[in-house]
Amino acid sequence: MSGDAVYREHEGDLVVVRRETVATDVVALTLADPAGGTLPAWTPGAHIDVVLDEGLTRQYSLCGALRDRGSFRIGVLRAPDSSGGSRFVHDALKEGSPVRVRGPRNHFALVDAPRYIFVAGGIGITPLLPMIESVQQRGVPWTLAYGGRQRASMAFGDELARHGDRVRVWPQDEDGLLDLPTILGDPRPDTLVYCCGPEPLLAAVESHCAGWPPGALHVERFAPKPAEPAAAGDSPFELVLQRSGITTVVPADQTILEVVEQAGISMLSSCRIGTCGTCEQEVIAGDIDHRDSVLTEEDREAGEYMMICVSRCRSERLVLDL
Amino acid sequence: MSRLAGNYPLNCWYVAATSDEAGRGLLGRTVLGQPVILYRLRSGAVAALEDRCPHRSLPLSYGTLSDDEVVCGYHGMAFGPDGGCVRVPSQENVPYGARARSFPVREDPPFVWVWMGDPAASALSDPPALPWLHDTGWATFGETLLVEANYLLLHENALDLTHFPHVHPGLSPSPYLETPPRLEIEVTETTVSYYRDFPASPLVDWQARTTGLPRDRDYAQRESGEFVSPGLHVDRMHVFATGDGIGSYDKILTRAFTPLGPRSTVVHWQVSRNYLTSQPQVSDQLRDVHRATLTADKRLLEAIQARADSFGAGEEFNVSADVAGLRAHRIIEEMLAAERGWPSARTPAPAVR
Repeated sequence: MSGDAVYREHEGDLVVVRRETVATDVVALTLADPAGGTLPAWTPGAHIDVVLDEGLTRQYSLCGALRDRGSFRIGVLRAPDSSGGSRFVHDALKEGSPVRVRGPRNHFALVDAPRYIFVAGGIGITPLLPMIESVQQRGVPWTLAYGGRQRASMAFGDELARHGDRVRVWPQDEDGLLDLPTILGDPRPDTLVYCCGPEPLLAAVESHCAGWPPGALHVERFAPKPAEPAAAGDSPFELVLQRSGITTVVPADQTILEVVEQAGISMLSSCRIGTCGTCEQEVIAGDIDHRDSVLTEEDREAGEYMMICVSRCRSERLVLDL
Repeated sequence: MSRLAGNYPLNCWYVAATSDEAGRGLLGRTVLGQPVILYRLRSGAVAALEDRCPHRSLPLSYGTLSDDEVVCGYHGMAFGPDGGCVRVPSQENVPYGARARSFPVREDPPFVWVWMGDPAASALSDPPALPWLHDTGWATFGETLLVEANYLLLHENALDLTHFPHVHPGLSPSPYLETPPRLEIEVTETTVSYYRDFPASPLVDWQARTTGLPRDRDYAQRESGEFVSPGLHVDRMHVFATGDGIGSYDKILTRAFTPLGPRSTVVHWQVSRNYLTSQPQVSDQLRDVHRATLTADKRLLEAIQARADSFGAGEEFNVSADVAGLRAHRIIEEMLAAERGWPSARTPAPAVR
């Protein structure tokens, strides 16, 4: 019966109903169903895939109001070294343009805590905006340090201004780099740190949070984590799909996802490079070789889930709840 | 195990009553293991307080409603709709901080929704919109059913209709009895929905009776369902009678699942249809059909719960048709993990399954 179920994420054909330039090289797009339908609910930290030409997808964090069930808002930076995603958004998407959207999904979920420190670098502010809306509404103490190259390049500063002292905007040309020791302070057991931004910022925050309780730091990356040193050739292993009652082999030159699909099982997947988190699967047994950019160190140690588009298995046998 | 624990997210809208139940009296209800009173203010809005006087803990449902004040039946303390104590008969002033817990309420007839979690967080979401329950063009009736089983068992039951020909023989669309058509599942971050398209075939008896469509014709059908939230499941059945120039005969079963506690769930169910809307006998026939299916499911779910209560939850295996139910578990687990908060979110909770 396994072939008799098709599993997919919500996809919608939306249109750009509003396009605003919100900073140098940053546009905010508001997307809605042309028929005025309700869009799926989501939680702070969620992102959508924007399906561009030729199967190219890009992930953008939702940064609109949580209660607004009629539209999605995303903020997009024109990246100079763009592989086409942000260039397409900036050049081709106008008000009225159709946009195919997949999701939302969330791998940067906001966990309840007594206190939060938010750290944003540049366009990394986007997933933090709904987080701030949520914690502010619930009366939980928080601060935001928002770094960027220069004030004019930093989006949504006007929306954040109403929060007064909780927000420190930190343009590099005026104030230098984010002063992470001061921003983060001493490790506190009651505080979660949420950080989104370019890789150097994430690496610096990860290094400063090394002394914090495991799991206190939550980060979201825009791009795949820099590749870990390439293994000297991958090995084949046996793959058992428990629920479906299928046993097969993953050859050295194929991914688990490819093998599962060849076995006739309908799978959720999107980016296929380990960044979007769509193909996450529950692991029953096996020594997982994690190669994605989604799971945290704690997730990896727990060994309950893996991204089967990139990750592999070091042991001879991998059993998935699939 | 887990399925018997309080495995329901608090930060979610649940149906506490139907609109006709909330009036100018104090309606006592249990919602997510907490006692609540519901009553209608003079403005027409519905208010909800904890069913306990914060002075000496008599249930406030033993008291009376006077104007918009709830007056305790023990010492006459009076409380406003926000729960604040407004009068202590035995003294001049009201003690600082004397307050009954109040809960956010939203009414969207026929349902009265209540939010049992962080009150401030209720402003970040709205109860699901269910326009067919009050739009003209639809006829709707409903009832309430108590099922002595954890609410997750009800969601699982609603999300896997491969049980249908086995539990409700004679009521299933006829192609179900052979190979069930392909199951199409769609997920979002917070929902799971599915549909199956049945090839054209004759209607089964109850469908022919309640639609008035001829029994000797073949009709394609689509059955679909959605886990909308931990508190709501919606099923739809479409009979495509377009060839008859009438359009689609749509029937929607809306089920609000409200945990009374870990082992019992109240189901507020409503059946809506967009055909023969002015014929009350169709409502009566559909009521009988839905009572029969919901009661048959209730019997099984209560047996599963009772078995687990007596002997503990046993290991279970899953099959491909369980995928929608498993996804709903996952959504609920993530809601529970977020609510457990930091740092306890790190310690694995009583797993949902």
